[in-house]
Amino acid sequence: MLRIENFSKSYKGKRAVNQLNLKVDGGDIFGFIGHNGAGKTTTIRSIAGVLDFEEGDIFINGLSIKKDPVGCKKISAYIPDNPDLYEHLTGIAYLNFIGDIYEINKNDREKAIEKYADAFELTSNLGDMVATYSHGMKQKLAIISALIHRPKLLILDEPFVGLDPKASLTLKNIMKELCNNGSSIFFSTHVLEVAEKLCNRIGIIKGGNLVTCGSTEEVIGDSSLENVFMDLIQEKM
Amino acid sequence: MKKVMPLVRVQLWAMIAGFFAIGEQRKKKTKALFVGFAFFFLMMSGTSFFYAYGLGTLLNTFNIINALPSLFMALSSVMVLFTTVFKVKGTIFGFKDYDMVMSLPVKNSEVVASRLILLYSINLVFVLIVMLPMTVAYGIIANPNWVFYLYSIISIFLIPLLPIIIASILGTVITYVAMGFRYSNAIYMVLSFILFFALMIIPFFMQGSEEAFAKIHQVISNQINNLYPLAALYSRAVNDYDLASMIIFAIISIVAFMVFSLVVGKSFVRINTLIMTGSHRSNYKLGELKTSSPMKSLFKKELKRYFASNVYVMNTVFGMLILVIMVIALPFIDTNTIVEGIDVAGAVEDIIPVIITFCISTSCTTMASISIEGQNLWITKSLPVSVKNIFLSKILVNLFILSPGLISTIAIGIILKINFVQSLITILTVIVFSLFVAQYGLVINLTFPNLKWSSETIIVKQSTSSMISIFSGMALVGVQVALLVAMGSSLIANLIFIGILLILNLLLYKRLTGRAIRQFEKLY
Repeated sequence: MLRIENFSKSYKGKRAVNQLNLKVDGGDIFGFIGHNGAGKTTTIRSIAGVLDFEEGDIFINGLSIKKDPVGCKKISAYIPDNPDLYEHLTGIAYLNFIGDIYEINKNDREKAIEKYADAFELTSNLGDMVATYSHGMKQKLAIISALIHRPKLLILDEPFVGLDPKASLTLKNIMKELCNNGSSIFFSTHVLEVAEKLCNRIGIIKGGNLVTCGSTEEVIGDSSLENVFMDLIQEKM
Repeated sequence: MKKVMPLVRVQLWAMIAGFFAIGEQRKKKTKALFVGFAFFFLMMSGTSFFYAYGLGTLLNTFNIINALPSLFMALSSVMVLFTTVFKVKGTIFGFKDYDMVMSLPVKNSEVVASRLILLYSINLVFVLIVMLPMTVAYGIIANPNWVFYLYSIISIFLIPLLPIIIASILGTVITYVAMGFRYSNAIYMVLSFILFFALMIIPFFMQGSEEAFAKIHQVISNQINNLYPLAALYSRAVNDYDLASMIIFAIISIVAFMVFSLVVGKSFVRINTLIMTGSHRSNYKLGELKTSSPMKSLFKKELKRYFASNVYVMNTVFGMLILVIMVIALPFIDTNTIVEGIDVAGAVEDIIPVIITFCISTSCTTMASISIEGQNLWITKSLPVSVKNIFLSKILVNLFILSPGLISTIAIGIILKINFVQSLITILTVIVFSLFVAQYGLVINLTFPNLKWSSETIIVKQSTSSMISIFSGMALVGVQVALLVAMGSSLIANLIFIGILLILNLLLYKRLTGRAIRQFEKLY
């Protein structure tokens, strides 16, 4: 579903990500872990087609994000770590806008909005302007907007930040449901317990280099993800 | 007080940084932009001088030159009042870095003082642009005593104070009332436009002769003195060298400003909390949804974004409003008298296209359409929509805003009974010029984007992009006038102008379908 080949990105000469190669198959929940400034967000934004890059390529369902960005975006969805949404729209107007852009038919759109808005307990707030939403509510709205077109690849940057415990559980269940239906999820997180329990595959990035990548069992072994992560971070410092 | 100045400094720098935000080229172009800003200041001051000198000469022939300083004082006060009303939300209340600033170990009154000083500094620049040239023009015409210069210069620093207070109160009340409505911006803008219409349309319904022109100013001057007592005090101070009036004028301005700062300081947190909480209904029930095509939806989103920003609308729609007012007023005025009166060579038909293109040049919305995306850019960039369609939606919104230009052109042609060929050429000019304005604004904004703004005012009014696009449009109007003068025939001049615009439009289209796409992709 997702293939990253020799991907590198520099900002003003400073290498943020260096020769990254990884693969995410259909049904995978891939946890992308690293400390602040390791290159997680750069990678995620590049996969989502938000960030331009020169070296390497990223393929979603066989399509290159460089050559066919629209095709890639049609089958994927992205939620940034701090979802700044259109504050001049109401929640429902924003969801309807996303529905129009992804050309979701009326029935499917209404059903999906009802399903996810109810699940995240946001239905009664959908008539309010996004400007009046709290951080958590904006996060929920961004998640709903990403789910309504049933993406084959869901790309999330720190999705659990700002969510209340119930909404976090709802999101985890939805992530599992999506993967059971053949979609893939690529997400970054600092909450290692969540990654350990939720992901079937994990990649750890440090200083722009992928230092380990594999199934959760392979990466963790007999230890815990926290120990593995700390060992890897300290190892090459 | 020692904590106020660092706050003012940081806010002023944020504003200046916004003005000079030119992405990667920031360092390289800063010097050039300072020169540009100086040029802008001189140009505006020059324009102000010529207007003051022209009006002063006219007033002098009717022996009412004394009305000039109070007229200009009133003009700057109205200008400060109008522009500040729109700045209150975002500067004093509901500003983006509110949480950060309020968490600092600084008193509320100091935060308020810093915000008011910021407003004062911005307004002072514009008052200087209006009042300094007037002082020089009045000096040349009336040859006054040195006391006039002394009082005039002191007054310049006092003039913005009271209008800022009045505007802040009005702005706060409007913002507070509007918070109860979901579509508060619409109500806010309609009220503002009604006020503007009233101010604009009154002179149109008066006689167009020189004598009446001078009388209008005298009447207005008297009215202003009655309505705005500070103008009367100012007038007595600078015209009659009345020290008592000068002192009262200064005391009222300064004391009012201090009292206002204290009062706002007391209710600052409460008002900000109210404004930032907004209107919650939380009673939405899912119903039937209306679907649209992706392009239509993008267009609607862009249009809603445009109308959601008061400052964006107020700064780009006046040209079109003037045209609409002109169409309404035309049947009531004798156009030939006006043309003769203002001593312009040529017929009304020759001047009409110039007025229309000038109004269009001030109504460019695309010049801020990329910057206004700000932190929302990730949404546009992650949508399955081609960059060309994103550009198209922004251009279409600008053309939609400019559409009254085309309708007015047709209406003017009918009202003034302009012949068919000339009307057709004017319509063509309007179409190609509108297309130019929309495309050019977008190209300029892509070259000088500012996605990290703290206030919409920065990108709409004080950005490199807005300055370049508006002044380039005006420069093209200058080319149109030059062609008219050089060719003698308006028909040939307009045909050449259309030819130039067609070539420019083709070049801009090429840019928007090539390099501009890459510029957009590189934005983050």
